Amino acid sequence: MSDDRFEQLLREAAQDYHRPPATPREEMWARIDAERRRQRAAPRVVGLRPGWRWGLGMAAILLLGIAIGRWIRPAPLTDAPALAPSAARGARSDLGYRLAAAQYLTRTETLLTGFRADARAGQLDSQFVAQARDLLSSTRLLLDSPAGRDARLKSLLEDLELVLAQIALLPAVRDSADVELITQGMDQSSVLTRLRTANPAGPAPVGVQGAL
Amino acid sequence: MDERDLIARARAGEPAAERALYDAHVDRVYRLAYRLAGDDDLARDFTQETFIRAFQRLDTFRGDSRLATWLHAITTTVALNGLRKVKRFRTRETALEAADGVAANKRTAEPDLKTRLRDAIDALPEKYRLVVVMHDVEGYTHEEIATALDVEVGTSKAQLSRARAKLRAALADFAGEWVS
Repeated sequence: MSDDRFEQLLREAAQDYHRPPATPREEMWARIDAERRRQRAAPRVVGLRPGWRWGLGMAAILLLGIAIGRWIRPAPLTDAPALAPSAARGARSDLGYRLAAAQYLTRTETLLTGFRADARAGQLDSQFVAQARDLLSSTRLLLDSPAGRDARLKSLLEDLELVLAQIALLPAVRDSADVELITQGMDQSSVLTRLRTANPAGPAPVGVQGAL
Repeated sequence: MDERDLIARARAGEPAAERALYDAHVDRVYRLAYRLAGDDDLARDFTQETFIRAFQRLDTFRGDSRLATWLHAITTTVALNGLRKVKRFRTRETALEAADGVAANKRTAEPDLKTRLRDAIDALPEKYRLVVVMHDVEGYTHEEIATALDVEVGTSKAQLSRARAKLRAALADFAGEWVS
C-alpha cells in the first residue's frame, strides 16, 4: 500500500478515535462561571504558578541549608543579639505553609483524580482509603495553620475535608451507591477544578506565551 | 465583535466578554480534550480548567499567536498532566507507553480495524499521539501544532511521520483489508 493511500485511510478511520459527543456548553460554563465568581470575590493568596513553584522549591532548599548550617554551627562564645528580624521570620514561616499547602494540594488532586477515574471504571482500590485518611489529617492541620486564614483556600480545604472523610470512611465491602455519592459531591462542589486552579500543574512539556 | 475587543473587556473583568470568548472557542477545546482523554468527565474537567486558567492569565496573552492557538496550548498541557495523574492509578494501562511501542499482537483479539487503530494510537508515545490527534484527527496544521506545542514545524512533521510509521507497523497485518 502506498504512503498516500495509507495516510488517507488513516485519516478516515481516525475520525472515530475518541469521537466526542456534543459539547456540554452550559454545564461546563456553569462551573467555570462559579469558579470565576469565587476568584473575583476572594483575592488570590496561594500563588503557585509553575515558575513560582521552582522558586519556592529553591528557596526551601536554601532555607533548609541555612537551618542545618545554624543547627550544626558551634555555639557562639559570647551572647549575640538575635539576627533575624521578626518580619523575616514571619515570611519564612509563611513560605513553609505555602510549600506544605502546595504539596498537600498536589497529593490530594492526584488522589481524587485517580479515585474518580477508578470509581467510574468500578475498580476502586483500597489504597484510596488509606491515602484519604493520611490526607485528612493534613487537611485539618492546614485548616488550623496560617494557610487556613485565606478565605479561598479555607473554603477549598473544608470541601476537601468532607470528600476525604467520605473516602476514608468507605467500608471494605463498599456499595457502589456510596462511591457514586462521593463522586457526585465532588462534581457538585467542583472540587477538582478548584484544586487544579489553586495548584496549577508543574513545569509543562509544552509552553507558549507564559500560559503554562 | 472583534476578538481583540473581547479580550480587552475580559481582561477588565467583564463576565459577558469571558462568556463570549468561551462560546467562540469551547467546541474546539472540548473536542481536543475529549480526543486526548477519551472520557467525558475528564474532557469536561480539562476544558473547564483550560478556560479558568486562560481567564486568570489573559494578561499574559501577548497576541503573537491567535487566541485559539494559545487556548489549545493550555488544553494540551492540562490534558496531558491530568492524564498522567489518572494513569498512575490505572495499573491495567501501564503497558500502554512502557514499551514505547504499539499494540501489534492483538490480531485475533480485536479484529475490527477501527478498534485496532484506536488501540494503536493509544499505545503511541505521548508526543506522537498528540501530533496524530491534532493533525490527523482534528485537522490542525503543522504551524498550529508547532505554535501550540512550542516546537519547530519540522519537529511536528517529523513526529507525525514517525507516528504514522509506528501505526503502519502496528496495522501491517491488516494491510490487505486496508487496500481492499
